[in-house]
Amino acid sequence: MRAYIIRRLIYAIPTLLGVSIIVFLITRLSPGDPVRIYTFGALNVTEEDIQALREHYGLNKPLYEQYVLWLIQVLQGDFGKSLQYNRPALPLIFDRLPATLQLATTALGIQLLIGVPLGVMAALRRGSWVDYVIRVFGVLGHAIPTFWLGLMAIIIFSVTFRVLPSQGVLTVGHDVWDVPDRLKHLILPSIVLAVAGIANYSRYLRTETLDVIAQDFIRTARAKGLRERTVTYVHALRNALIPVVTALGGVLFALFSGALVIEQVFTWPGVGQFTYAAARSKDYPVIMAGVMVASALLVLSYLLRDIAYAFVDPRIKVK
Amino acid sequence: MSPRVGTTKGFAAVLASSMLVAMACGQAPTGGGGASPAASAAEQPTPGGRVIYGSFSDIQRLNPATSNDATSSQVSGKIYDTLILVDPKTSEVKPNMGQWTVSADGLTFSWTVDAKANWSDGKPVTGNDFLARVKMQGRSKVTPNKSAFNDIEGYQDYTTGKATSISGIQVDASNPKKFTVKFTRVFCPALVTVFGSAPMPEHIFGKYTVDNDPSKNVDDAAENNAPPVASGPFKFKEWRKGDQVILSRNDTYWKGAPLLDEYVQKVVSDSTVGAAQMKTGELTMELAQPGDVADLSKADNVKLYKWPDNGYVYIGWRTNNPNVAFLGDKRIRQALMYGIDVDAVVKAVLFGEGTKQLAHHPPVSWAAGVGLNEYKYDKTKAEDLIKQAGYTKGADGFYAKDGKPLAITIVTNQGNKTRETFLQVAVEQYKQIGVKINPKLEAFEALVPKLTGGSPEVEAVIIGWQLSADPDPFTIWHSSNVASPTKAGNNFVGYANPDVDKAIEAGRNGPDCSQPARQKAYQQMNKILNDDVPYMFGFAQNRILATASNIRGIETGSFSPNADWNIEKWWIKK
Amino acid sequence: MATAQTTIATAPPIPIRRASAGLWSNAWYRIRRDRLTVAAALVLFLIVVLSLSAALISQVLGMSFEQQDLLRTYSVPTLDPPGYVLGSDEVGRSQAVRLFYGGQVSLFVGFVAAFIQLTIGVLLGLIAGYFRGKIDDVITWFITTLNSVPAIFLLIIFAALFAPGAITLTIVIGALFWTGITNFVRGQTFALREREFVTAARTIGASSWRIMFKHILPNVLPLIFVLSAIDVGAIILLESALSYLGLGIIPPTPSWGNMLTNAATYYNRAPWLVVSPGVMIFLTVLCLYLIGDGLRDALDPRLRGSEG
Repeated sequence: MRAYIIRRLIYAIPTLLGVSIIVFLITRLSPGDPVRIYTFGALNVTEEDIQALREHYGLNKPLYEQYVLWLIQVLQGDFGKSLQYNRPALPLIFDRLPATLQLATTALGIQLLIGVPLGVMAALRRGSWVDYVIRVFGVLGHAIPTFWLGLMAIIIFSVTFRVLPSQGVLTVGHDVWDVPDRLKHLILPSIVLAVAGIANYSRYLRTETLDVIAQDFIRTARAKGLRERTVTYVHALRNALIPVVTALGGVLFALFSGALVIEQVFTWPGVGQFTYAAARSKDYPVIMAGVMVASALLVLSYLLRDIAYAFVDPRIKVK
Repeated sequence: MSPRVGTTKGFAAVLASSMLVAMACGQAPTGGGGASPAASAAEQPTPGGRVIYGSFSDIQRLNPATSNDATSSQVSGKIYDTLILVDPKTSEVKPNMGQWTVSADGLTFSWTVDAKANWSDGKPVTGNDFLARVKMQGRSKVTPNKSAFNDIEGYQDYTTGKATSISGIQVDASNPKKFTVKFTRVFCPALVTVFGSAPMPEHIFGKYTVDNDPSKNVDDAAENNAPPVASGPFKFKEWRKGDQVILSRNDTYWKGAPLLDEYVQKVVSDSTVGAAQMKTGELTMELAQPGDVADLSKADNVKLYKWPDNGYVYIGWRTNNPNVAFLGDKRIRQALMYGIDVDAVVKAVLFGEGTKQLAHHPPVSWAAGVGLNEYKYDKTKAEDLIKQAGYTKGADGFYAKDGKPLAITIVTNQGNKTRETFLQVAVEQYKQIGVKINPKLEAFEALVPKLTGGSPEVEAVIIGWQLSADPDPFTIWHSSNVASPTKAGNNFVGYANPDVDKAIEAGRNGPDCSQPARQKAYQQMNKILNDDVPYMFGFAQNRILATASNIRGIETGSFSPNADWNIEKWWIKK
Repeated sequence: MATAQTTIATAPPIPIRRASAGLWSNAWYRIRRDRLTVAAALVLFLIVVLSLSAALISQVLGMSFEQQDLLRTYSVPTLDPPGYVLGSDEVGRSQAVRLFYGGQVSLFVGFVAAFIQLTIGVLLGLIAGYFRGKIDDVITWFITTLNSVPAIFLLIIFAALFAPGAITLTIVIGALFWTGITNFVRGQTFALREREFVTAARTIGASSWRIMFKHILPNVLPLIFVLSAIDVGAIILLESALSYLGLGIIPPTPSWGNMLTNAATYYNRAPWLVVSPGVMIFLTVLCLYLIGDGLRDALDPRLRGSEG
């Protein structure tokens, strides 16, 4: 197991390198000059000022040189300074990370807690109205644009009924450690984020559970009635764990993506929204830092998922 | 540069802030005019409470010497007070933290800082603090405003390291509250652009700028983003990045402690969400869009203030772009000015919240032109002018000459609803006078370098100006600032008129800097611009401030973009 | 117990095996009886036809999609003029006409991008699964790399920096999200290449490419269509999210995404404007999903016999 983990971590390196090259090329090859954008509006800016700023940020060097310099810096832990904020880029990203993680893990938790049982239930009561309702919801949840759902949620719960706050992490004036207030702010965004995942999980679990039941049905004798059903339930749930873990990969991927939009709608100060803002202002160091951190996290979570997979399903041997 | 002095320069407010997160409402329609229903005799100001202001982007840097954007300035302007104050209604420059006299030749300003002006840690505000500010800005490697003080004697040598002090600024050793500033030439806007720069605490920041070591600067100072002392009505309390900045009352404020406890500037993603939050009370103040007016006026916990802006939205014609050489012909430009029904645009796009613009300075400015051509909407006249220029209408309904059609690509920045809609209206209306418009939207970040770099891709652009309290339009209209690939500039339409140049120079470098003399020069400039129409001068949008109805003491004016010039007098009625 | 067994043994659920029936006709038979899928297919067909006939609709309603009327902005749905049957937008254009032109754009992006993904995915998956070895390693590395970046980050960064037009956007979406299909095809190819019919083909000297395309591909294709159907829906949703962020199809070209985002800004003035594009997106994605689901059910041999 340890060897496996180490090997996976080593394999992650060329992957992350590849990611950095892709993003680097995208940012540097895009049209526009971040310095000109940043200085736009200052009435006294002269061409010399702009060139001096470009020199200062090393933007006039050839591309491969810029990349190598960046790489060397990164290996020393320095992602450069944000062009907008003039502060080190990596800490800026890390500052934002907890907010996104809170959102993502809460949403994940909701998806699992609601999606899995729903899927299993739908399978066990296949054909009943419960099944249809859950299936319909499962499909509906997929078809609604996330930002739309978010906006509607704000309009209904915040503006019309005033029961929940509509943005941010905390109410103004409340202390950072005010947990009930933080929870109140977390409810809407995490539920909206979780909707698509709930739909996904319930569908997936339903299919898998149907599989399991089909096998059991045909194999086991049905003499004992109730006990049989209990065994089926337990057996179904246990087998449900495997596909849950399998689906985690795609779910994590989707969470990161969905989180970005949710963070915009609810003004949630997370990494996604921050990187997006940096992309719009061509803040290169922050863009690179944001994408690398997100990728590293994703790679890490794939690894964790695969380890969990090995534990959950004894048939899977870790080479 | 303090936000209380109106916005610093040209574009800053409008477009720098729209650079970031949500560009839905990039414009900064400032104005001057409306006053808040002042407290009636029965209402007594009571201390306490906070204002939560919604802004569309987070602040970037809290040190005005190193930053440029309007959002940051809005916050730093409450922490660092300035020597002068611009009257929000008349734009007259008045003494604030300091009083001044000018020498007869107009080159030397002698200042006396108010005895009461102090820093929140008890130290007095002196001329050394102003000197510290100039030095910091001169040696910073990341400031976009390094050239702001170029006309101060000895400044440029200091920035390059050739000198270890700035010869033009002298602080009286026996009384540091007195200091003098000498310019190399008469610079009329100095009161606003130079002395509108807030002094910075020398005892805090002085150590970062080492006179004889040009490599040392204030850029990485920790105090940049957590100012320890304040000379303004509020002190820095906390910055929760991406979420909000919290300022608390400065009890030692030299004009008397403000009544509010706290001022919070919170990030809002866009105006739809912002309007929703005004209604729920999560925000108590924000700049509203014309589209939100109908909705917000129905809410009984929201009050709206409207005033005319010190800025405008226009269509700039690239007169120096060979692809659209016909834009160099005045008749075509005048036709394009006659060919848009601006009143209809204001009604439909701004819901009535705006006025037609005829030249560079909006009507609220003392520099505005008089006796200008109103260019009333007249399709026939427009087409006559086009025909006079030698064009004939083709079978497709569009004019052409020698096989070249009268077609223009107009670009504007995406995310700004007003401009996007204006563009679409322009397409339709110009079609009716036989001019083919190809509309194009671009992200602000991609558009800006093309504009300031004079890229030939840009034939015409819809964009806006946010003007400073001082009417000097040097960077926008002077021929030395024409944008080109080798030299950046704000004169992106390529306008070069020697008469306009002369008028601008008179208003900028005098030698007569009195308002009547400058006014004469600018009125002449506006008359020429009104006739030449290098821009389709578009409209000036009203600035709309939505506040919670229990906030009192607000007095609006075109020259205070956020109406916060007297924030120390605001109070909340319980 | 005996009863249960008898029940299972004797009750003919759905006759899913017919004489000389192949995979496709089995599937077709099953689908035909799945009313939900059929309904979804009909609705989708209707939407596509309506969108393609946008020009015709514009003639019938008497308004072009560019026609503005600044005096009648945000009009409530009315039949006077008939073009305003769904209301008018911020410059007085017909919401109804724009809706169907927007449909053309959104559907184009959805289907074409999905098609690109399918092409790339199938090709790379076949190659990786069939040839294995070094080629497989490289392709897998590529897949892992792309999977390691929240692709939406890349897409957003790309869109923010390059401000692409509709066609470029479609190509980029197609080029970024093919990993799912590739993985699937690769897995299937792995399994299939060991089967007898492949060995047989190789024995008689069929070239690798022929084996891949004539023998393996047809077995893989049906399930790919399932994935693609759902893909198209996902892409349409993606386009709307991009529009919300200000990065999608740039106005004045209408797309459901940018019409929805636009309407959301003016929600307070004209809530009805939000309904039409929202409903279109929702219905289209829903139908695609149901069709994909139905296809999957129809083609999945495992579900045979569990209709009880």
